[in-house]
Amino acid sequence: MNPVLVIWAMARADFLERVRRYSFFLTLVFAVCLGYAAGTGKILIKLDQYRGVYTSAWIGAMMALVTTFFVGLVGFYIVKNAVDRDRRTGVGQILATTPLSRPVYLLGKLASNFAVLSSMVAVLAVAAVLMQLLAGEDRHFGLWALLSPFLLIALPAMALTAAFALFFETLPVLRGGAGNVVWFFLFSIGIGLPELSGIHWLDPFGLMSVANSMMEAARAVIPGYKNGFSLTVGDTAAQVVDALRWQGVNWTARALTLRLMWTVAAVVVVLFAALFFDRFDPSRSRAAAFQAKPRRRAKSAAAAIVAHAAGGAPAGLVHLTPLAKTAAAPGLRRIFTAELRLALKGLRWWWYAVAAGLLIAQLSTPLLVSRGPLLGAAWIWPVLVWSAMGSREARFDTQQLLFTAAGMLPRQFPALWLSGFSVAVLTGAGAAIRLALAGQTAGLLGWLAGACFIPSLAIALGIWSRSGKFFEALYTVLWYVGPMNHAPGLDFTGSSAGARAPLAAAVYLLLAAALTMVAFAGRARQLRPH
Amino acid sequence: MRLVVEGVSKTYRGSLHALRGVEMTMGPGVFGLLGPNGAGKSTLMRILATITRPSAGRVTWNGADIVADPDVLRRVLGYLPQDFGVYPNLSAVEFLEYLAAVKGLGAAAARKRIEELLVLVNLADAARRPLGGYSGGMRQRVGIAQALLNDPQLLIVDEPTAGLDPEERVRFRNLLSELSGERIVLLSTHIVSDIEAVASEIAILDHGELLTHGTPERLLESVAGRTWEVVVPSAELPSLRQKHLVSSIASRSDGVHARVVSAVAPGPAARLLEPSLEDAYLAALWARRGNAAGAAA
Repeated sequence: MNPVLVIWAMARADFLERVRRYSFFLTLVFAVCLGYAAGTGKILIKLDQYRGVYTSAWIGAMMALVTTFFVGLVGFYIVKNAVDRDRRTGVGQILATTPLSRPVYLLGKLASNFAVLSSMVAVLAVAAVLMQLLAGEDRHFGLWALLSPFLLIALPAMALTAAFALFFETLPVLRGGAGNVVWFFLFSIGIGLPELSGIHWLDPFGLMSVANSMMEAARAVIPGYKNGFSLTVGDTAAQVVDALRWQGVNWTARALTLRLMWTVAAVVVVLFAALFFDRFDPSRSRAAAFQAKPRRRAKSAAAAIVAHAAGGAPAGLVHLTPLAKTAAAPGLRRIFTAELRLALKGLRWWWYAVAAGLLIAQLSTPLLVSRGPLLGAAWIWPVLVWSAMGSREARFDTQQLLFTAAGMLPRQFPALWLSGFSVAVLTGAGAAIRLALAGQTAGLLGWLAGACFIPSLAIALGIWSRSGKFFEALYTVLWYVGPMNHAPGLDFTGSSAGARAPLAAAVYLLLAAALTMVAFAGRARQLRPH
Repeated sequence: MRLVVEGVSKTYRGSLHALRGVEMTMGPGVFGLLGPNGAGKSTLMRILATITRPSAGRVTWNGADIVADPDVLRRVLGYLPQDFGVYPNLSAVEFLEYLAAVKGLGAAAARKRIEELLVLVNLADAARRPLGGYSGGMRQRVGIAQALLNDPQLLIVDEPTAGLDPEERVRFRNLLSELSGERIVLLSTHIVSDIEAVASEIAILDHGELLTHGTPERLLESVAGRTWEVVVPSAELPSLRQKHLVSSIASRSDGVHARVVSAVAPGPAARLLEPSLEDAYLAALWARRGNAAGAAA
C-alpha cells in the first residue's frame, strides 16, 4: 500500500464530497464577500492614521492577512467535520476494517481540509488581482509581490487551521461545542503569540512578518510615525501617504524557513492527533461509556416498570389502557419542564458547581464587577446548552418523531424558548438581584434584554442552520467583543452602555423579538409537509 | 376511520419518479405494504405521515386533506420511521415522557402509558439506562413504544422489524395484530413473512406504482394452480430460471427442488403446490418486469 496514493485518494474523495455540497458554495460566497469588503476599503491596514499606496505588495499582504484572520478563524468551523462525517455516514466503520493506518487517514483528511481552505484563499487571491486593477493607485503589477503573501503567509496558516480542526475532532473533549469555543480563544492567542511570548518568530499567522516590514517602511517616510499597525474593519478613514510604496516582505532564507516551519508544524499536529484517534472503534466512544455505567437502583416510574415486568412479559399478556378522551392535555409548564430537562440532561456536576460559583460571586462582589465580567462569564458558561436549542432534532435525527406530532408550534416552540431564557435567568440571577437592590431599572432592563436575546439568537441560528456550530462561533465572538471588551453597540448585557442603557436594552429586546419570529418561521417551515 | 390516497405522485428533483398515481383506501385493520427496496414505500409512508408533500394527488383522513391541515391527522397519528434517532443522554422513560408532552398527553395518563409500553416492548429492565448505550434493536423498540404513546388511530410503521431478533419480531407481529382491531395499522416492509401473519389487506408497490391491492386471499387466488415443485439437476437451474419464476430452491440428494410460479407446468414431473403469499408477491413483480421488458422490446 503506497501511503502517498492512499492520502491522495482519501483527500480527493473527501474534497469532492465537500465541494458537491451546497454549503461549499456558501463558503465560497463568504470568501467573495471578504474580498469585496477588502476591495471596497471596508477592511484595510492602517499605520497610525496612514496607509501606503496600493501597490501589488500592499494589496497582496493586506488580502493575505484578511485571509489569515477571517478564513483562519471561520474556516476552522467549516472544515471541522471531516472525521465526523465518516463517523455519521458509517464510512468510518468500513475504513476501520482496512489496513489504513491512523496517521495516513488523518493526513488524507488534512490534505482535504487544506484543499477546502485553499480554495477560499484562491478566491481571495483573485480578488486581490481585481482590487489592484480597480484601485489603480499603482500601475506596476508585480505578480510575485501580490501572490507571495498568499503562498507564504496565508497557506501555512491554513495548514495549521486544517490540522487543528482535525486535532479537535480526534479528542473527544474538543470534538463537540466545547472545541468550537476553545478554538476562538486559541486562535486569538495564536494571533497575539509574538507579543505575548516576546518571541517575534513565533508567529503562526504571519502578522509580524508583514507588520515589521511595513512599520520599517513607514518609519523611513512618515515623520512622527508612532509605530501603530492595525488591520481594521469598517474604518475607512486613512490618509494615503504617496511616498509609502511598500514593496513587500524581504523573503530571506530564514523568513522562508520560518513560514514553512508552520506547515511542518501542521503535519506534526496531525501526527500527534493520530495518538488520540479512536479509529471509529465504538468501544472507545461515548456509547460505550453509557453501557459501562453501573445501573443505579430503579425508582419512581422506572421502579414500577421493573417490578411490573418481572422478567419480561410475553407478548399478548400486556394490555394498553386506552387513553381517556378527557385526559388533561399538558399545559405549557409540563412541556417547558421537559424541554429544560432535555437541555440540562447530561451536564456533569462540575458544570453546576461552576455555574453556582459564578452566581454566588455575582451576589457577593461590587455591582460593577457583578454585572460586568461576572455576568459575562456566567453567560458564556451555558453556551453549549443554548447552542443545542433549535438544532437538537436535526443533530439527533428525531425530526420525524417530533414533527409528526400535532400542535408542535404553539406548544413546543414557546417551551423551548422559555427553557433557554430560564438558563439565562438562572445563571445570571445574581447580577439581576444586585441591580434590583441598587434600584438600577435601566440596568435591569439591559439584563432582561440580554437574557431574551441569547436564547432567541441560539434558537434562530439552530433552526435555520440545523447545527449548533454557527451559534457557538458567532456568540463567542460577540461575547468577546461585546460584554468582555465593551465594543460599542455589541454589549448585549447592557453593562457598558452607560447613559444609553435604555436605548441599548430596547434595541436588544427588539432584536430578540425579531430573532424569535425568524426562529418561529423556521420551525413552521420544518413542520410543513415538504 | 378512513384514510384515502387519491392519485398520489411524488417527483424529486431531477425528474425521479418515486410514486406514480397511487390510489388506495384504508379502514381499520392491518394494511401491509410490500415492495422491493426503492419501490417508493418509504416515500408513501412519509407522505401519509405528513412529512412529505405529494407532487400530485391528495390524501384525506376522514375526509380532511392532510396536506392542507396536517394537524388533523397528527393528533391521532403514531409513526415509526425507518430511520430515526434518540437523545443519547435521556433514559427511555425520560425520552418517552418528553415525546408524550410534545404529543399532548396529560402527565398521569402519560406515566401509566409509558409504564405499560415499556413492559410491552420488553424494555422495562433498561428503562432508566441512557439511550446512548442501547443496541440497535433496543432503540427500535423505543421507537415502537413512542409510536403507540398517544393511542393512535393511524399507526404507520416503516420496516419495523429491522434490527429486531426473531423473538422480538414475533412479539411485535403479535402486538400489531392485537392493536389492529380499533385502528388502521399501515405496515411497510419487504419481508413477506412479516405481513403474512397479520395483514388483512395487502398492497404491492414497485417502481412507484401500485401493482395490486387486495386481501391476502385474493392475492393467493392470483397464483392458485400456478405454483409447482419441480426437481431438476443443478446444471439445468439457470435455464429453468430463464423460462420461469423460481421463488425458492432447496438442494437435495436427487437434485434441486425448485418452487416455480408458472401458468404452465415447468416440466413433466412437476407437481402442484399450495401457493404462498411470497409466491404471489414475486409473481406480481415478475409480471410487471416482464411487461416492462416486453414494452421496451
